[in-house]
Amino acid sequence: MGIFRPYVRKYGKLFMLAVFFLTIEAVADLTLPTIMAHMVDDGALTGDMGVVVRLGGWMLLVTGIGLGAAVFRNLISSQVSHRFGADLRLDLFRKIQSLPFVSIDKFERPSLMTRMTNDVTQVQNFVNGMMRIFVKSPLLCIGSIIMAVNLNPHLSVVLLVVIPLVAVLIALNMKYGFPLFSKVQKALDRINLTAREFLSGVRVVKAFNRSVREMEKFDAANDEYQRRALRASRVMAVFSPSVMLMVNFGIVAIIWMGGWRVNAGEMQVGHIMAFIQYMTQILQSLFMISHVFVMFVRAKASAERIIEVLREEDSMAKAHPAAAGGDTGGRACSETGGVPAGVPECVPGGSVSANAAGFRSSGGRRRGDAAKIEFDRVSFSYEGVSGAPVLRDISFSCRPGETIGIIGPTGSGKSTLVSLIPRFYDVSEGAIRIDGVDVRAMDPRLLREKIAFVPQQSVLFTGTIESNLRWGKEDASMEEMARAARIAQAEEFILRFPEKFRTWLGKGGVNLSGGQKQRLSIARALIRQPEILILDDCTSAVDTATEKRIKEGLKKHTRNITCLIIAQRLTSVMDADRIIVLDDGRIAGIGRHEELLRTCRTYQEIYRSQIGEGVAADVQAN
Amino acid sequence: MSRPTESGAANRPDAPHGFSGMRGGRHHRGPVVKPKDWKRTLRQLWSYFGNEKGLLALVFFIVLADSLIGLAGPYLIGVAIDTMRGGQGSVDFNGLQIALIALAASYVTVGVLTFAQGWILAGVSQRVVKRLRRTLFAKAQKLPLKFFDTRPHGDLMSRLTNDIDNVNVSVAQALVQVMSGSISILGALAMMIYLSPLLTLAAFITVPPVIWLTRTIASQTRVLFKEQQARLGALNSHVEETISGIHVVKAFNREEKVIEDFAEINRQLRDVGIKAQVRSGFLMPIMNVISNLGFAAIAFFGAWLAIRGLVTVGVIASFLSYSRLFVRPLNELANMFNMLQSGIAGAERVFEVLEEEEEPADRPHAVPLRRPKGHVVFNKVDFSYRQDVPILRQISFEVPAGSSIALVGPTGAGKTTIVNLLTRFYDVTGGAIFIDGKDIRDYTMDSLRRTFGVVLQDTYLFSGTIKENIRYGKPDATDEEVRRAAMLANADPFIRRLPKGYDTELAENGGNLSQGQRQLIAIARVFLADPPILILDEATSSIDTRTELQIQEALLAAMRGRTTFIIAHRLNTIREADRILVIERGEIAEQGSHAELMARRGAYYQMYMNQFRNVI
Repeated sequence: MGIFRPYVRKYGKLFMLAVFFLTIEAVADLTLPTIMAHMVDDGALTGDMGVVVRLGGWMLLVTGIGLGAAVFRNLISSQVSHRFGADLRLDLFRKIQSLPFVSIDKFERPSLMTRMTNDVTQVQNFVNGMMRIFVKSPLLCIGSIIMAVNLNPHLSVVLLVVIPLVAVLIALNMKYGFPLFSKVQKALDRINLTAREFLSGVRVVKAFNRSVREMEKFDAANDEYQRRALRASRVMAVFSPSVMLMVNFGIVAIIWMGGWRVNAGEMQVGHIMAFIQYMTQILQSLFMISHVFVMFVRAKASAERIIEVLREEDSMAKAHPAAAGGDTGGRACSETGGVPAGVPECVPGGSVSANAAGFRSSGGRRRGDAAKIEFDRVSFSYEGVSGAPVLRDISFSCRPGETIGIIGPTGSGKSTLVSLIPRFYDVSEGAIRIDGVDVRAMDPRLLREKIAFVPQQSVLFTGTIESNLRWGKEDASMEEMARAARIAQAEEFILRFPEKFRTWLGKGGVNLSGGQKQRLSIARALIRQPEILILDDCTSAVDTATEKRIKEGLKKHTRNITCLIIAQRLTSVMDADRIIVLDDGRIAGIGRHEELLRTCRTYQEIYRSQIGEGVAADVQAN
Repeated sequence: MSRPTESGAANRPDAPHGFSGMRGGRHHRGPVVKPKDWKRTLRQLWSYFGNEKGLLALVFFIVLADSLIGLAGPYLIGVAIDTMRGGQGSVDFNGLQIALIALAASYVTVGVLTFAQGWILAGVSQRVVKRLRRTLFAKAQKLPLKFFDTRPHGDLMSRLTNDIDNVNVSVAQALVQVMSGSISILGALAMMIYLSPLLTLAAFITVPPVIWLTRTIASQTRVLFKEQQARLGALNSHVEETISGIHVVKAFNREEKVIEDFAEINRQLRDVGIKAQVRSGFLMPIMNVISNLGFAAIAFFGAWLAIRGLVTVGVIASFLSYSRLFVRPLNELANMFNMLQSGIAGAERVFEVLEEEEEPADRPHAVPLRRPKGHVVFNKVDFSYRQDVPILRQISFEVPAGSSIALVGPTGAGKTTIVNLLTRFYDVTGGAIFIDGKDIRDYTMDSLRRTFGVVLQDTYLFSGTIKENIRYGKPDATDEEVRRAAMLANADPFIRRLPKGYDTELAENGGNLSQGQRQLIAIARVFLADPPILILDEATSSIDTRTELQIQEALLAAMRGRTTFIIAHRLNTIREADRILVIERGEIAEQGSHAELMARRGAYYQMYMNQFRNVI
């Protein structure tokens, strides 16, 4: 829990202050029955009105103090719990945003979301509860016992019997009753799963006429849920009245014993009344404490899940020590903007300067020009050096402005390969160099500034089309946006919307078709005017004719962008300057379409499956 | 005591005295959903009680008895206390004994009744809710696809879960608590007036402030909580977007901006949260103080009256208990009422679904489709999802039994719609579709759907084993048949490589398989069902090339002797089809065999050459 120390430092004092006020509240609550006892015994029974008035005044005072304390405590606790929750949430979010993909994959995104939302709320609620009833209940419980014993030690014998009995009942309930509720929850989850599956697969259910079977499945889940829920609520139906009964018998016993003691002159009536009040108070607190315990277990689990994320090391240092030149060299170099001609001076290191020399011969290069990418014996595995490699010994280089197509069966490592360039992951072996500089020597921010990336699944964000396009370039002008949209074949449909570029997109762009989303996501990348453009199979939902127009546009307008295009369809990459054929993490062939058709077996297979001999004959014949 | 939920614990009124902790109530935070039509919904809900109506009446009777007998407790305490009035040596033990025996008896009765009521009610509410849930799910089975296509899944899910849960809570808890609460209030009031009208007045000074405070604070906080809920929603959706799209965030270097946005939403949430909590947080301590004040008032005036001999000390003791019986339910009644309201609103949303139009029933003279040959005719078919937007116009074509037909055309041209009409996922709005010479609407739906095997673009697998999923279309298939189907679909090799083979448990929608593998299983599923008409909707779109080659062979084998509809973007896969339909904007632009269409040099030729010209 050491990770919470900064919050303790920040809010600890206020927290303690809240607990202090809470204690005053509890003390005020505890004093009232005693005052009342004296009022009855010394005032009402003896007929002394002065005592009644004096003690009435005391009661008002104590109540007033209790109120004051409660008001202060409420002001403080509301501030502390919400500020703490907000701080924790922000820190966690910041942490998640800074996590490398290795960690994000490890936690999985849905789990990260739950930690951000539910878990933080759990912890916040617990902290809030601590400053309210969670601390107050034990205080009241202990205080009441002390007051009761103080009031009359002899009657406390009843407490000695009733409290342990009730405590045992509560403990039994916590041990056997509460687990029933988690079983109920599990049964409910199963109902939900069945319902969710039915809703998502409704076409399949209907196509295969399986309604009856779905119904049976649902019935089974529903029955199970009913059985468990019934058991749980029946345990409760036994539990609550038996505790009540226990307490009430305690009251009967107190009055009976009290009667004897009053008769013996050892006690007065008012004390009996106060005693009853204290006893109900104690039992109520016991209940509360059992709840606090459950809350604590839950909050602890949440806190642990939060800590796990906050503790996650940033394994991807801004500049990787493995890269030549180390930290300072890399950063100094990237901060000058782009990669200046003076690379060797900037990044000392053998292999780099060798490449940089070659680069220099091509003349000085300004920022915004196309970049040269070089893969040098790159191997990669998601689990680090020891894991099963996804990419093995990949070497190739693409010249500035070149368009490279990447094709291969699913799972051959295409997406992994391109995700290494913007350092979503770092290579396990070998190196990737851009303009001669190892990417690991570059600040990921500055590296990614040069790259525009269009993912396989288009991701758009709530907001206007314009605000989504501005992700590419914050200060883009209207013309720039229109131009990018035009190249991506998105302008036409954008202008058809009544509000054009200001059209509001729902979450994930729900109001757009798949093809429209893909085109917007391409436009967003283009607006950036990157040095490197990566298209990861991002035209799958766009029809062939539109795809063709997009590619023509790209060709015309992106002469000085180095382009990597991943595709499933052969026709999407055929006209690239060069095509890399990946198979099982290795390069099976590099070259132009015609060359590969002659020399590369994997490529021939792809060609055969997608195009076939018949097509060739057709096209030639026509 | 309600379930150990966080709201139950965190918001429980922390009144210092009495039994308020023992019959907890859940505070409803956030806006209360109000039902639109109370009466109608209640009537409908009532009909779901079926045989339980008698039991429910019994419960009401028990609650009534329970609450009334419960009122005797404080009175008897007062009587018992009064026997000691005389002090030392003059305690009336006879009276004390009688009072205490009566008290104990009343406690035992109340205990037994409370138990009986809880026990019976749990059964009633669970059975009613189960019936309701089952009815809703059964209804969902009969709803047409249109219903699911036009409604977000989340909405239906929440009707099946949250709403029904709300019904449960309101039946099991709110109803009884509203009832017993009302009885307690009235009964306590009556007893207090009976015991001492004067002291009742004193006890009553706390009532107006209680009502006034609850009202003002509740109305203020309701607005704030609503706002808090909205902000929380915004925050959650921001988190969801930026975490699920984190690769884009990182690729575009937007981390700082995204964090800034988050910080802003977070700050707003925090501020409104503090406001809401401060306001609502005042409620409990102030109530506490008011009840303490009431306590003080009763003690003070009671003592004052006792000195004058107008009341006995026992009456003070009784009053202390009655005022609690009176004020506590008053606080909770509003909450209970809100719960009841959410429950009714939930029931209303459930009934809304139950009133939806079902898939058309079989026509009166519908006959089962027996041993179908698979001869399909579309005759001047029109279709539109909404009246003003026609999707298909005047579609006419014929597919001889056992032949294959391919549907080609740009996205959105209506290819999938044609298949949806054939399988009667939707019904035509004009014209008719015939199978083996008879309008498909004259067959029973069940036998008609059995005729088709569909491999869809987005395959769906269910949680369960691989074996169960392949068996989906033919539940009684033997293991051997399952394996043969998997082999035909080329799924066998990868399945056997899995540690548990055919018994491998799949996650929801086959999450632990690749998309290609899922598709292979879906194809095996169709092979096993062995239908006379095969529908392949982009069936091989996400299978890798090598597997696709094998699948194509398998599909070709499956197509032999079967009427087959093929929808594909990749034109090469449909070259072999006997007949090709080119669909454009809902109409048939061209039809014929591949060779004929190529020779015509029309739309198909254009598409084909566009796609392949530069390949060669």
